[in-house]
Amino acid sequence: MEIIKVENMSFSYSKEEIFKDFNIVINKGEWITILGHNGSGKSTLTKVMIGLLKKETGIIKINGIELTEENVYDVRKNIGIVFQNPDNQFVGSTVKDDLAFGLENLCLAHDEIEMRIEKYLTKVNMLEYKDKEPHNLSGGEKQRVAIAAVLSMEPEIIILDEATSMLDPKGKEEVIEVIKNLSENNTVITITHNLSEAILSDRVIVLNKGKIVLDGKPLAVFKETEKILSAGLDLLPSMKIANKLAELNYQDEELKGILWELNSKM
Amino acid sequence: MNVIVGRYINRNSWVHRLDPRMKILSLIILMIGTFMTSTLINMLWILAGVFLLILTSKISLLNFIKSLVPLLFLMTFTFVFQVLFNKQGPIISTLTLNLSFITILLNVVVIIGYQILKRFRIRGFFWFLLTFAFIIYLYTLNLGTPFKIINLNLYRDGLTFGLFLLVRIIILVSASSLLTLTTKPADLNNGLERLMKPLKVLKVPVDEMSMMISIALRFIPTLLDEVNKIMKAQASRGVDFASGNIKKKVVQIVSLLVPMFVISFKRADDLSNAMEARGYFPGMERSKFGILKFRFSDYLTILFSISFLVGIVYFDL
Repeated sequence: MEIIKVENMSFSYSKEEIFKDFNIVINKGEWITILGHNGSGKSTLTKVMIGLLKKETGIIKINGIELTEENVYDVRKNIGIVFQNPDNQFVGSTVKDDLAFGLENLCLAHDEIEMRIEKYLTKVNMLEYKDKEPHNLSGGEKQRVAIAAVLSMEPEIIILDEATSMLDPKGKEEVIEVIKNLSENNTVITITHNLSEAILSDRVIVLNKGKIVLDGKPLAVFKETEKILSAGLDLLPSMKIANKLAELNYQDEELKGILWELNSKM
Repeated sequence: MNVIVGRYINRNSWVHRLDPRMKILSLIILMIGTFMTSTLINMLWILAGVFLLILTSKISLLNFIKSLVPLLFLMTFTFVFQVLFNKQGPIISTLTLNLSFITILLNVVVIIGYQILKRFRIRGFFWFLLTFAFIIYLYTLNLGTPFKIINLNLYRDGLTFGLFLLVRIIILVSASSLLTLTTKPADLNNGLERLMKPLKVLKVPVDEMSMMISIALRFIPTLLDEVNKIMKAQASRGVDFASGNIKKKVVQIVSLLVPMFVISFKRADDLSNAMEARGYFPGMERSKFGILKFRFSDYLTILFSISFLVGIVYFDL
C-alpha cells in the first residue's frame, strides 16, 4: 500500500531549479534511505513533502490525502521529521516540556500527554532524563529526545533528515539503534550521505541533481559503483577494498600468501 | 557548561511552593501599597514585613543586597537630593564646613590616594561614596585657619522624605527579587500567561508572547555557548577581547555580533521549521500541559495581601 506518492512535482529556489517532474512512491511499512551529496535536493524533498516549501506543480499525496494549502496542517500530523541539528529543534525548556510542545499542538488532555511522554521516553531510553535541561544533555541524547518528541505525536511516517550527521560515533550508534526498532512498525525515511547507514534499510534511493539515479535493495544499489561515485557519494570501506583487490587481480594462492604475511605482522 | 538561567535559587520554603500567579498578584498589591503609604513609619513597617518574608524564604540575605548594589547610585542620589534641597520643617542640625589651606591640601591627597587605589581594582561606587564621605568629614574638622565657612542646614522633612524614598526603593527591589529568586523562569512565564489571559479579548497575542519568552529563556544557555565559541574563534584570528580603547572595543563587539546574528537567524529558521513540522502555527488552539492549581496557602496569601492593602488605605488616610 502506498503511503507517499509524489507525481510530476517541480520545485525551484528563486532561480535554481531543484526538481522537475519528479516522481516517487513510498509504500507503507518500508524503511527507505534517500542518499545524495550536499545540494542533491534530498532535504528539499522532505520540506516540499510536508509543505514547508511550496511546490510549483504536481501532486503530493500523503496517506491518500492530497497536500493543498488548506490542509497542510492536517497532513503534517501524519509526518514527523527529526532534523539535523539537535539544538535547533529542542523547543521546551526541559525534556518533558519538549515532548509536551508537540502534544499540546495536538490539543491533547493533560493525562494523555503525561502518559505519552512516559511511553515514548521509555522507548528511546531517556525516561530518567525527564526533567533535564537541554544544555545538560549530549548531542545523542538530545537527538533521542527529538525522536521521542516526533514519535509521541504518533505519525504514520517518520523522516530522519541527516539526524545522525552532527553526532559523535557513540551518539550515532544510539540513534541508529532507535531507528532500527522504529522501522519494525513504522514507515521510516532516513536521509543521509553516508552509505553505511543505508545497509539496514529495505530500499535505497540515490538522488543526484533532483533526479533519482538508483532505486532498489541496498545490496543491488551498492553494486553500481560507478553511478554511486558519479552521484558524489563515497563507497563503503568494504566495497573500496573489494574494488581495489579486483583491480590488483591476485590469484588465489598469491592472495593467501599476502594475507598470511599481514596477519603475522599484526 | 552550566549556566543558570534567571536568578532562581532552589530551596524548600512556603514562598517557593506558592502559585506563581499568586506571587505576581501579591507583588503588584505590595507595590501599590508602597505608593499609597505616605509616612516613613508605615514604610518601615512594610519593610519589616518584607524582611520577614525574606527570612522565611530561606534565601540568603546576601542575594537581596546584591540586587540592591546596581541601584546604589540612584538611592544615594535620591537621598542626597532630598537632604540638600528639601527645605521644609525645622532645622535639626547644621553642618559647618571649614575651607582652609590644610583641608584643601588633605582633600587633594585623598583624591590622589583614591585614584592610585583605583588601579588596584579597588573601585566601584561604594568606594567613591566612602571617599566622598571622608572628604566631607575632613572639612568639618577644624584644621588650620579657615578663610571661608559654609553652613549646611539639615531640615527634618528633607531627611525623613529622603529616608522614605530610600526605603521605598529597597522594598520594591527586594520584593521583586523575592519573586524572581523563588520562582523558576518557566513557572513565572506560565503564571504571567494565565494572568494575561483576559487580555486575549483585546486581541493581545498572549500565547505567542509567552511562547516567545519561553523560547528565549530556553536558548540563553545555547547562545552563550555560541558566544564563547565565536570569541575563541575570533581570538585565534587575533582579536584581543581583553584590552583596547573604545574604538577597538567597538571593533571587537562587531566581530562578535555579526557572526552571532547570522547564526541566530539560521537557528531561528531551523527552529521555526521544526516547530511547524510538529504542527505548530501561531494563533492556533493548543492544550496546556503545565497545570497550575491554587492551594489553601495561595488563598491565604492573596487574602492577606488584600487585607494589607485595605489596612494601608485605612491607616494612611
